[in-house]
Amino acid sequence: MEPVVRTESLTKDYGVVLALDALTVEIGPGITGLVGANGAGKSTLLKILLGLVTPTSGRAEVLGHDVATEPLAIRAAVGYLPEHDCLPPDVSASDFIVHLAMMSGLPRVAARERAAEVLRHVGLAEERYRLMGGYSTGMKQKAKLAQALVHDPRLVLLDEPTNGLDPAARDEMLGLVQRIGEDFKIAVIVTSHLLGELERVSNHVVVLDGGQLLRASATDEFLNATGALLVEVLGEDGPNRMAHALQSAGVSVTARGALLALDTAGPVELHDLIRDTAADLGLGLVRVQADHHRIEDVFADARGVRHD
Amino acid sequence: MTDPSLPVPTGRSVIHDLGYRPYTGPRHGEGAIARALLATGVRHAFGLGRSGRSKVLPFILLAINLLPALVVGGVMVLVGATELPISYPRYASSTQVLLGIFVAAQAPVLFSRDLRHGSITLYLARPLRASTYALTRWGALLIATLVFLLLPILLLYVVALLGELDFLDQTRDAGIAAALALMLGLSLAGVAGLIASFSTRRGFAVVATIAVLLIGNGIVSAVQGIASTQGSPRVGEVAGLFSPYSLYRGLMAAWTDEVALCPPTGTAMELAYLVVMLGLSAACLAGLVWRYRKLASA
Repeated sequence: MEPVVRTESLTKDYGVVLALDALTVEIGPGITGLVGANGAGKSTLLKILLGLVTPTSGRAEVLGHDVATEPLAIRAAVGYLPEHDCLPPDVSASDFIVHLAMMSGLPRVAARERAAEVLRHVGLAEERYRLMGGYSTGMKQKAKLAQALVHDPRLVLLDEPTNGLDPAARDEMLGLVQRIGEDFKIAVIVTSHLLGELERVSNHVVVLDGGQLLRASATDEFLNATGALLVEVLGEDGPNRMAHALQSAGVSVTARGALLALDTAGPVELHDLIRDTAADLGLGLVRVQADHHRIEDVFADARGVRHD
Repeated sequence: MTDPSLPVPTGRSVIHDLGYRPYTGPRHGEGAIARALLATGVRHAFGLGRSGRSKVLPFILLAINLLPALVVGGVMVLVGATELPISYPRYASSTQVLLGIFVAAQAPVLFSRDLRHGSITLYLARPLRASTYALTRWGALLIATLVFLLLPILLLYVVALLGELDFLDQTRDAGIAAALALMLGLSLAGVAGLIASFSTRRGFAVVATIAVLLIGNGIVSAVQGIASTQGSPRVGEVAGLFSPYSLYRGLMAAWTDEVALCPPTGTAMELAYLVVMLGLSAACLAGLVWRYRKLASA
């Protein structure tokens, strides 16, 4: 499918920092998680995609428009949820969203209709007539999401939409992000520093590190089985005794917290061996499961460390 | 009276969840967006569409500003005077403190507010250039200031015509006053807007604007006073170039029968007053555009 975002050796040099370093990436429709530590270049990338920041070199296209020559066309078709507070406290969400719909070029009547509809979709019902100064963080995030959707964009850029939310509100927000991508059929690029969230909602993950592309692939590929087995046993000094016994049987074992990670590459039939060893040692076998990758592992692998 | 025992009418609406519906209607360009922003800006400058509390100050100031004109109108009608007790251009000069407070207090509504609450980000992410945003905001402040400046002139003009004063004379005088008011409005909106665009704190912008406008005018007036008693009016004329209010007074004295301290004498000086007044407004506008272009790419 036609990519919604395409960058070619995109570089942004602020002099003191190199925010983006020859980034070439294609982002397709659906929900894409943009991952990276603080300073990895996520926010700079979003601002370049909105046509606000001029890249030092390289080029970028959003929905087929060049960021350098057609920033207004891009901003008409893109919704943006900024990371920081951006709501004036002395107007109601309803009035503000109507106003911003008109700022995206919608006529007044259409702006009113869209605002009411979008506020309902994000779950701001009666509160929408109250001044936003009295809103909770969760309600503010919903209002921010509503303004990003009110002009029916073809792509939304969500910068840390779950920031500062309690677990219930975070689940609700992630549910909304998923609905935007799947039910509303709007392409989503969402950043987060909580990788677990992105694993849950995104179809694709783009990992940035130091302004460079670390990896871009489907979320499933990140989460594929690693080819290791995780074993948990109960009993006096259980994990240690189990590890020794397995090692003497010729299996490569590493401790991971309270669990043992077994390399399945060896010639031995592991499941039987685990069962027999646990029985011989008189240990309770709690679980044996396949180990899956986490998105964190991409960072760990890149730095050559394995943190447990 | 409807009978409550009757069943619910069949036409009663029911809420259906239609799911997400895409928008297929028209989308306006930057011009229409700027016009909508201008209209909202003018409303917000008077607190309309904002909290009840934010309407108090602008409307109290506007009422006090109109009060003398209303009193003058009443007196005119009662006494049947043959000329206005206060001339059109003199009015803005006598209510300059009110005007200064109004501009200083309402410029942050249009400029600092979006910076303080971060809503500027939402505007900049829309199909509206930073320069268009800056010029539109300034335009809203200018219109609000002109409402403040022109309403009393209009009121006096209506009273004068009702009092059957000479139509041509009155129209000419009111017209010159309106032109002077426009220039004062241009420069005040420029100065106040530029200061507010550099301040995320409303209080700071208010204090700084009042300091520049009113205290600046006080210093200029003092210098002009000393210069005229010391018999060196040229110094006073040059000093008059340094405040929008003294520029206004100077041009008023040059273009009407009104008297002012150390008015510009000679065509060169009059021209200098005009150029400085318009140049000040243009410089402030350029400053605003530069400021918001910087903000957008930050």
